Amino acid sequence: MGFLDFIFRKKTSKSDFVVQYEQFLIKKQSEFTPLDQLNFTILDTETTGLDIKKDYIVSFGAVKMKGYRLNLEQSWEVYLDAPLQNEASLKIHEILYPIEISPIKDFAADFLKYIGRDIIVGHHIGFDLGMLEKILKSFGLKQVLNPILDTQALAIRLEQGPHFDRRLMRKGEYALDTLCERYGIPLDDRHTAAGDAFLTAQLLMKLLKLAEKKGIKNLKDLMQVY
Amino acid sequence: MSNVIFNRVKEFLNRFPPFHFLDSTNLLTIAQVVEVRYFAAGESLFQKGDAAQEYFFVLREGSVHLIDHEYGKDIIVEVCDEGDVFGVLALLGKRPYILQALAKEDSLVYAIPVRTFDKILQENSRVSLYFAAGFASGQVVVRRDLSQVQKARSEFKEMSQDNGLMIFTGQSDMKFSEDVLCVQQGTSIREATIAMSEKGVGSVVITDSKQFPVGIITDKDIRNRVVAAGLGYDVLVESVMTTPVITRRKDAGFAPLYLTMIKNRLHHLIFTEDGSDQSPVTGILSDHDILLSQGNSPAVLINALMNTWEVSEMAQVRNRAERLLKYYLENEVGMEFIANIISEINDIIIQRAVQIAKKKYDEAHPEASKVKFCFLSLGSEGREEQLLRTDLDNAIVYEDVPADQAEAVQAYMLLIGNEVIDILLHCGFEPCPGDMMANNPKWCQPLSQWKQYFSDWILVPDQKALMHATIFFDYRPVYGHKALSDAMTDHIYQEIAGKSVFLNFLAKNALLNPAPLGFFKNFIVEKSGEHRDKFDIKLRAMMPLADLGRLLVLSHRVVGINNTFRRFEKIATLEPQYKELMLEAGKAYEILMRMRAIEGLKSGSSGRYIQPDALGKLQRQLLKNAFAPIDELQRIMSVRFQMEYFNR
Repeated sequence: MGFLDFIFRKKTSKSDFVVQYEQFLIKKQSEFTPLDQLNFTILDTETTGLDIKKDYIVSFGAVKMKGYRLNLEQSWEVYLDAPLQNEASLKIHEILYPIEISPIKDFAADFLKYIGRDIIVGHHIGFDLGMLEKILKSFGLKQVLNPILDTQALAIRLEQGPHFDRRLMRKGEYALDTLCERYGIPLDDRHTAAGDAFLTAQLLMKLLKLAEKKGIKNLKDLMQVY
Repeated sequence: MSNVIFNRVKEFLNRFPPFHFLDSTNLLTIAQVVEVRYFAAGESLFQKGDAAQEYFFVLREGSVHLIDHEYGKDIIVEVCDEGDVFGVLALLGKRPYILQALAKEDSLVYAIPVRTFDKILQENSRVSLYFAAGFASGQVVVRRDLSQVQKARSEFKEMSQDNGLMIFTGQSDMKFSEDVLCVQQGTSIREATIAMSEKGVGSVVITDSKQFPVGIITDKDIRNRVVAAGLGYDVLVESVMTTPVITRRKDAGFAPLYLTMIKNRLHHLIFTEDGSDQSPVTGILSDHDILLSQGNSPAVLINALMNTWEVSEMAQVRNRAERLLKYYLENEVGMEFIANIISEINDIIIQRAVQIAKKKYDEAHPEASKVKFCFLSLGSEGREEQLLRTDLDNAIVYEDVPADQAEAVQAYMLLIGNEVIDILLHCGFEPCPGDMMANNPKWCQPLSQWKQYFSDWILVPDQKALMHATIFFDYRPVYGHKALSDAMTDHIYQEIAGKSVFLNFLAKNALLNPAPLGFFKNFIVEKSGEHRDKFDIKLRAMMPLADLGRLLVLSHRVVGINNTFRRFEKIATLEPQYKELMLEAGKAYEILMRMRAIEGLKSGSSGRYIQPDALGKLQRQLLKNAFAPIDELQRIMSVRFQMEYFNR
């Protein structure tokens, strides 16, 4: 530990797996990789509430997609050891008896390994990412280095064009449920992290096809709005 | 691993055949390895001629067309819907795709790895039979329509015990020969052939010096690779043999062995001590042995019928066919396939019966026996819909003879008719209560008289004529000179062409059948008698559909389609504006046939009377749903054939 750590008031040292991750991410994917060659990790979290500072992740689910193929063998779901006092959240998600709770440290290490260099995708991903980064921070990772893609933003961009004023948007018009219905994705039971990740992944495939039709061909085009 | 996602996939698959045959554990195994794929409209999942992928497909959402390309034209062979399974032919045979699969709409598809499903296929005979039966009937899509019927069945009947594929066979041991003809490498074809001929076998296994199998030569190889190829008889066996050989242990079990042979297109499978080709030969299993093991398979039954002149043996075979029918019904085999198989067996029995009759009487009637005739099946057997051995309806038509011979010829024809009916009764069929059988002089007539009958019925369609029409217009030649029945068909269409009024009367008759449901949507049951409180599925549901099918076919002058459900399928193409309705009617008829057959087998009766109270809620609903197209069709026909006018 160097003396600068004190100046930046860094409380924790970097865990090995964080160092590994950061080194791995130095090499970036070519900007010209076509859409069907890109690796995506599509994820969702369920939390005790909507406040990133106070609330916790209860469960996490993710799937991987490449070339319009979702391989379920690579799907992943985790229930986390978070305080479960928030009744409101229990009512929404009905997670009462999480099975096989994972220790936070294992989860953080597994998570970074799982995402690799993938593009991280989620519906309203900023929130999930904030929650995840809160966990990762305690192991020394300041922020996730992967490219980030929000399916909500992508849908708005594709449907309304890049310069759309979001204030004109009707409430709920771009919620996951609404989009899935609009794009003909069968809705099953909602409000499980893995279930929503699965839905988001299917939505992503539809949106990417649409993007291709609109001339979005590669990673560079895809990431342009952000 | 995400159980939430697996469960979603599992729940979806569980709604459709063949997956609903699987238990939860197996289903989960499949769900875990599913690949979800997305195809935009206009994209192909695979092209005709592409090598088989490691996956077969279930449509989750969207629409996929299976398309054949012939002479530069695209022909849509199948339209897949949610839950339909396709790309399976490639699964069994590992052959290239025979059709193109094109996403018609944006489609989500579950791709299921063959390697995982293979194991399940081998362990679960019900699933493998499902596929096998589908292939046998040339199906390219595993349909979900059946699942409804499946539900109906499951509450109707308990499953026969599942003993692997062996249940199909009716016997528990597999026959194969342990005494295998082997020759060593270095032997000439001449010597090998002589050895085969001495032993009377069709194949010879080639071994190395350690007696391990290295190749095999069959009769066909000698024909194709030696004689036709112009090789001399001194050529050595190793240059002609098929090598390497596929080997198994003989105790590997029937189902896996059978599937190995199907998949690798093997006619012979060699058994060795440890199952590898590095071990001595212990036996050989040929596809002929497989055929013999399948005691109740259609092929064996038909073969048995063709090789006997014994009426008692024919009766036995017909009983075995009924067990086959039962097994097919329990295992959701497609109705068209079932109906085809049973009709084929019935036809062969009739053909055999006519041959027996001719053998018996021809010598004593040298002149009359030269007269050409045709034995016709009528009614439900004529429509290839007779699953159970209910009423016999049949007739004989023979060519016109000079008046001085008429009496003698009819006498001979009646002898034949009598004998055939006797044999059929012996085989367990029921006589026709209305005596519409070939041994009735009225229905054993020359062509000119038959033409007269039809002309009369068409010209003066009184009540009796219409009753006859419903039976006699569904004739089908089973034995003899088809030209005679073709002449009848030509005559009928000529007669109808001029007299549209006949179709109107036929329509009236078709609408006479009493409605199946009462005002309060309750089943109308028999009020009295033996069948009190029972529902007459034949009179109130099947006959109206059969009548409507016949009416439509006659009005469109369609020839050669006798199945009621195939008639509706045909009409669907002729009247695209009613396509859905016609297809529904056809489906409804299949469901009714199935229900009736199941009821008949259960109660040992004709299956005609069903007790609504004894049905589960689901069956009642299914039955009621099947009535919907009847009602709608009757209304349409009533307008089309101006029934209002006629009723006045």
